[in-house]
Amino acid sequence: MQASLTDAALWHRIHFGFTITYHYLFPQLTMGLAWFLVYWKWRALRTGAEKYNRAARFWARIFGLNFAVGVVTGIPMEFQFGTNWAGFSKYSGAVIGQTLAMEGMFAFFLESAFIGAFIWGEKRLGPKGHFLAAVGVATGSWLSGLFILVTNAFMQHPVGYAVAADGTLALSNVGAFLLNPWALVQFAHNQCAALVTGAFVITAMGAFYTLRGVHSEQARVYLNTGTLVGLVASLLVAFPTGDSQAKMVGRYQPVTLASMEGLFHGTRLADVSVIGQPNVSQQRLENPISLPGALSFLAYGTFKSYVRGLDEFSKNDWPDNIELIYYAFHIMITLGTIFILIMAWANWKRWRGRLESSAGLLWILMLAFPFPYIANSLGWMTTELGRQPWLVYGLFRTASGYSQVVSAGDTIFTLIGFVGLYFVLGLLFLYLTGREINKGPDAPYPLAKRQEVAV
Amino acid sequence: MITLWYAILAFMLTTYIVLDGRNFGVGILHWIVARNQNERRQVIAAIGPLWSWHEVWLVATGGVMLMAFPRLMSASFSGCYLALFLILWCVLLRGISIEVGGHLSDPLWQEFWDAVFVFSNLLLAVLFGAALGNIARGVPLTSQGTFYLPFFTNFGIRGSVGLLDWYTVPVALFCVLILTAHGANYLAMKTEGAVHERSVRLARRLWLATIPAFVIITVLTWFVRPQLLQGMAVRPVSWLTLVVSAVSIYALVSGLRHERERLALLGSSFLLFGLLMTGAAALFPVVLYSTTDNSLQLTAADCAAPAFSLAIAIAWWIPALILAFAYLYIIQRHYGGKASVSKDSQELY
Ligand code: HDD
Ligand code: HEM
Ligand code: HEM
Repeated sequence: MQASLTDAALWHRIHFGFTITYHYLFPQLTMGLAWFLVYWKWRALRTGAEKYNRAARFWARIFGLNFAVGVVTGIPMEFQFGTNWAGFSKYSGAVIGQTLAMEGMFAFFLESAFIGAFIWGEKRLGPKGHFLAAVGVATGSWLSGLFILVTNAFMQHPVGYAVAADGTLALSNVGAFLLNPWALVQFAHNQCAALVTGAFVITAMGAFYTLRGVHSEQARVYLNTGTLVGLVASLLVAFPTGDSQAKMVGRYQPVTLASMEGLFHGTRLADVSVIGQPNVSQQRLENPISLPGALSFLAYGTFKSYVRGLDEFSKNDWPDNIELIYYAFHIMITLGTIFILIMAWANWKRWRGRLESSAGLLWILMLAFPFPYIANSLGWMTTELGRQPWLVYGLFRTASGYSQVVSAGDTIFTLIGFVGLYFVLGLLFLYLTGREINKGPDAPYPLAKRQEVAV
Repeated sequence: MITLWYAILAFMLTTYIVLDGRNFGVGILHWIVARNQNERRQVIAAIGPLWSWHEVWLVATGGVMLMAFPRLMSASFSGCYLALFLILWCVLLRGISIEVGGHLSDPLWQEFWDAVFVFSNLLLAVLFGAALGNIARGVPLTSQGTFYLPFFTNFGIRGSVGLLDWYTVPVALFCVLILTAHGANYLAMKTEGAVHERSVRLARRLWLATIPAFVIITVLTWFVRPQLLQGMAVRPVSWLTLVVSAVSIYALVSGLRHERERLALLGSSFLLFGLLMTGAAALFPVVLYSTTDNSLQLTAADCAAPAFSLAIAIAWWIPALILAFAYLYIIQRHYGGKASVSKDSQELY
């Protein structure tokens, strides 16, 4: 693709890619934290131990900030289907509109009704009501993940549709559309990955307080719950969910799999390269260090399976940024492996009762929390770039999907607007979150102070 | 089926404007009714905790529009590209100002976010008003069924029009006025003390001002888009919604007279609801008028998704709506009554 300032298609893609990558930084933590909150509220109900209530209260404050940013950055996402992807909306709205509308009607109403009550209404609702509000919020956030992933899965692997007389898509089988096998696998992998983010953030907070020597009772709760969930979720992310994702890609998007692995020539006993740089113009992988046969095994279950290489597909159908897909995918997998190792180590120490005295490990846990965000963003980049050059895989090309009436200049303008707004929003979010962290779990309600200032 | 979905879409958009419109009004009045920080907190607390539930009506309307009328969504959203992003940015800034203002204890920054709150709400009322004006006037559709609106051209109302012209600007101002009055009704109900007193007084004056404004808008509409008023005359549904409006006016007036704030708010909500639904009924079956050539206009049937999609969607939309109101009911039970800012309520609301 020719990159130029007047190439509208490219700018629409960058517009969407930037805004969605930013949006997803927030829901992944919302979805990751939500069930921790439910779990702590439940423990508090069962055991009456105040420390779980305190943990829930503290994390609810961070959750609230994160949620607010998630909501305000999510609304532009939905409208971009109409503003920037008019061709796509017209073509597939009758199908993907179903799940987008369901997301609003089933998930967002639920979430938004209970979120305010959950964060600020502990006294008004009472312990049981507060627990139920947490369940409502968590269910809502996972439902919104589910519906949006069904939408995305349709773009990756369209099922349950028919082509109408005017060439646009119509829904033909709702069951098939909603139970798209791609969606189920993607949901499982993505939600486990969100739990990884949640667990690493909670663990990092526990490590931070422990290293500082403050709030030790709370820090212990965070470390215990965080490392346990972190290990389980990290394992699940790799197997079976990540593995099934790879098999699904091999089955339905073989050219994407070849790009992810930088496999330019088809072969039996295909290798997984652990390290290496794809060179697209020469069509080879440079300096590879490979695990022989591993790709055949991962993608198709036996070492001998034939894996098709890029050369077997028309260049027209190649994703347009093979290098980026390759690196994104490999970094995701490498990070996934590192997460398992770190969490296994932490759990081993915890089991021996030495976690809180292992300063080195605590430092690692404290500094590790950005990496799940990186892995999540890169995973999505793999998925979305791997789908190219299609908007709906095999049916509708990205080049036909963008809004013809909107010029590249207008798109660049709104993109710059978003970059600026989101930059400020990010600073604000970090500042406010930092303040909550400094105040810590034992701080009194913030309002009490503010009123003294105000009156 | 297409008619039903048209009605649902109109219902959802109207509900959004009625619910979030009162938040716009509250925002516009923020500096006028609340004179110190404590009163301002009270105003924000009056909006919460349900403002994001109100905003979901906008999100859900977008989803339903894409599902039921994909062509309408693609033509109108890309055609109003810049205006829509302005709306989105205002929605974003407003959300942040509500959520962030409460977390800052520094008076200077509270002042700043209060200003953001006021201006984003004001601009939202203007933009939604202008949008309604554009729907009534029509847009410069091409034979492909697309258009691209600049902000303004020569302010003419025919041919290659812009978003703002001699018709849509008055509509936008009218919209600001009526939503402010609506917001004042809400504040009168939700607050106590000085804020309450001021809101009650303002509500009466603002509603009086809407009467001449309404007459002007009706006359203008007659010139710009006579089809709308003709449609109103021949379509029985719009008689029904007009009756709703009339009853609401009665409720509104007696609510304002006798200081029955809940009645007044119900009156203004149903008045807005009735007026917007009347407009929607009069518009049907057209969804986008053309300012260039009447034969280019888009009707609901031109834009609708295939019948099967629409039929399926009814099956889940109805239960989903019931659920949405059930949540509202549960939350309202805990959050009825006046908003006060006390240490006991923990935070903003
Ligand atoms: C914490 C984040 C994280 C981690 C550690 C991993 N993943 Fe992942 N992966 C994601 C987060 C993620 C994601 C962001 O959530 C994606 C993007 C779309 C999706 O559903 O999940 C994804 C997509 C994704 C895809 C789909 C690519 C496509 O559709 O083109 C595959 C094949 C894998 N992953 C495989 C793996 C494997 C084998 C891992 C081994 C450890 C792994 N992922 C770790
Ligand atoms: C949160 C995770 C997601 C991330 C990080 C992400 C990332 C991206 C990126 C980087 C692009 C630009 C790709 C390119 O142009 O080559 C893109 C494009 C796009 N994505 Fe996603 N995406 C995510 C989820 C989704 C979902 C859930 C949907 C659908 C419901 C979706 C729909 C699209 C569309 C319509 C485009 C523009 C067309 C295209 O370039 O193919 N994305 N996304
Ligand atoms: C094109 C893709 C996307 C669109 C159109 C979209 C749309 C939206 C909208 C409109 C909201 C605000 C809801 C409200 O008002 O309450 C939102 C929030 C949210 N979105 Fe997205 N979204 C997209 C991608 C994703 C993805 C990929 C996920 C997760 C898998 C996700 C999960 C959530 C969640 C959990 C929320 C709740 C707010 C939060 O948790 O921060 N979204 N999204």
